Amino acid sequence: MDVGVIVKAALDVNVLRSDPSGRISIESIPLVISEYDRNAIYEGAKICESTGGKLYIYSVLTWGPMERKLKDFENVIREALALGGEEAFTVVDKSINSSEPMYTSEILAKLISKYGSPKLILAGEASTDMTSSTLAPYLAAKLGYNVATFVKELKLGDGYVEVLRDADERLERLSVSLPAVVSVTGEINTPRLPTLIQIRRAFRKPLHKFTLADLGLSPIMSRYEDYKVVTVKRKNVIIEDESLEGVADKLIEHLIQEGVVKR
Amino acid sequence: MKVLVLLDSNKYVSDIHGFIMKAGFSDASLVAVSNVEVSEGFDKVYRVGDVSSDILVKLGSEIGDFDLYLAPHSKKCIEALSFYAGSRGIPIVTEVTDFSIDEGRIYRNILSGRGLVSYKFTTPMAITIATGKFKGSISKTPEIINMDISPSTQLLSTEEKAFGGVDIENADIVVGVGRGFKAKEDLDMAFELAKVLGGEVGCSRPIAADYHWLDEDRWIGISGKKIRGKLYIAIGISGAPQHIMAANDVKVIVAINKDKNAPIFEYADYGVVADLYQFLPVFLERLKTRLGV
Ligand SMILES: Cc1cc2nc3c(=O)[nH]c(=O)nc-3n(C[C@H](O)[C@H](O)[C@H](O)COP(=O)(O)OP(=O)(O)OC[C@H]3O[C@@H](n4cnc5c(N)ncnc54)[C@H](O)[C@@H]3O)c2cc1C
Ligand SMILES: Nc1ncnc2c1ncn2[C@@H]1O[C@H](COP(=O)(O)O)[C@@H](O)[C@H]1O
Repeated sequence: MDVGVIVKAALDVNVLRSDPSGRISIESIPLVISEYDRNAIYEGAKICESTGGKLYIYSVLTWGPMERKLKDFENVIREALALGGEEAFTVVDKSINSSEPMYTSEILAKLISKYGSPKLILAGEASTDMTSSTLAPYLAAKLGYNVATFVKELKLGDGYVEVLRDADERLERLSVSLPAVVSVTGEINTPRLPTLIQIRRAFRKPLHKFTLADLGLSPIMSRYEDYKVVTVKRKNVIIEDESLEGVADKLIEHLIQEGVVKR
Repeated sequence: MKVLVLLDSNKYVSDIHGFIMKAGFSDASLVAVSNVEVSEGFDKVYRVGDVSSDILVKLGSEIGDFDLYLAPHSKKCIEALSFYAGSRGIPIVTEVTDFSIDEGRIYRNILSGRGLVSYKFTTPMAITIATGKFKGSISKTPEIINMDISPSTQLLSTEEKAFGGVDIENADIVVGVGRGFKAKEDLDMAFELAKVLGGEVGCSRPIAADYHWLDEDRWIGISGKKIRGKLYIAIGISGAPQHIMAANDVKVIVAINKDKNAPIFEYADYGVVADLYQFLPVFLERLKTRLGV
């Protein structure tokens, strides 16, 4: 059975850049694969291997400016292909410059129904940059698919998937008829690292790029958002001494002085 | 203003009411859809069997249109509210932490807690609310309407998670453990430290979710619990933003890590660069002597 995975090129949260006023410069933050999308790809690859299906990667470049982000975006897609994707369908358009589930889902829905329309679409439980967890269910509704989110175990049946999903206080085992969109947690599997051969092969796999016009969609209204850095001032004191006893004593004195440990 | 609230637990009513008050919508008509008994605070309550993904889609034609769709940021509510928003093509913003009436803007964190973004509040809109940020109560006695809806997905069985009943969110002192610990037994050192200090033990996501060494109510992070006490001692934790940003409101952060380049030191007030297996026994002994316990 063919499976689709929606993969996000997410802002690298470990490389935050901002101007002196505290505004985040989205334009200069590099993009990396959204962490839990690797789990989604691996889960999809396993299904395709056992059923002899094809694994499609779908992605929309949501962060601008396009010219500056294109190289990182392509690297993310190549990584997705190295991890098991067979063919990638992507949308890259100058008019897209923010990551809003409403728009992203509309574009993905168009892309998926036009190219491949697999009956099972996998996603990560949350993207590393937006962490909104809305994309999978929003997209499911747009496609007219069923949905299950925060899935920790996935088993393919005949015309359905059986999933174990996290529902905060408890776990629920559900049978979800296909077609469906399923978002997976970071614990569903341990993604394998791609081998050198897989990385090299990924460069020969088809990577399609479409604009909004190609899909018959109109340009997206650029909704300017104000992104600010959250700053928390910390003292950043590294405690040093010749002996561990000395370090421990100094730490204890600091904590007593701060009034957080009472003697 | 007509507000629809989706609820999968009673414990979120105060968060929801707090948000509504902060937003200045206290006079709004409030309708709830819930699978639990809600006896107060709404004009009308539709009782359903389950907050399934398509519950609002199935109920929609029955209960009509609203200006604002609200839910707590719980996993089932995120799913059902997003699915509904998708079916209607209305914007959704999740885990909202603030509302400014003057600016008509709502706020949420991005970049795993390192950034804050604002959105213009428009209607209709769907919003999930960060829990623990708002508190309020609106008194109303609802009319209860029982609904019989069969969801598109079939619930086969449920498993209760094990919880120790620990409340790290309101603990004054938390000792956090991460993958620097090599075996479950070694966490005893952390438990002893917590005991000496009068605190609780918390952990990073892998300790709870991958290894299952500790219950999930000890999981600190953007997908776990936020902490806000006076002291957090993070031991063998690298300091991924998804973890440490949930400790932003803690007064003093101490990090113990053997890697001097670990990001956790950037987020700490006091750092100790040492192997926890060597440092913790010494620290414990000195602490006990100093505190006379
Ligand atoms: C969408 C999303 C949500 C997430 N939500 C959360 C969340 O809520 N909470 C969370 O914690 N994580 C979360 N994560 C995962 C997060 O990114 C990190 O992977 C995780 O926090 C790492 O846990 P850790 O620090 O225990 O392990 P590691 O990153 O492996 O760090 C272990 C640390 O221990 C140190 N160490 C090793 N041995 C010793 C020793 N003997 N003595 C002293 N130090 C030692 C190492 O130097 C290292 O720094 C999330 C990720 C994503 C993508
Ligand atoms: N621009 C995008 N292109 C493709 N997939 C995406 C995109 N944004 C989000 N996703 C998918 O949706 C998941 C959840 O993202 P989010 O709703 O932003 O938390 C991610 O883990 C991806 O699988």
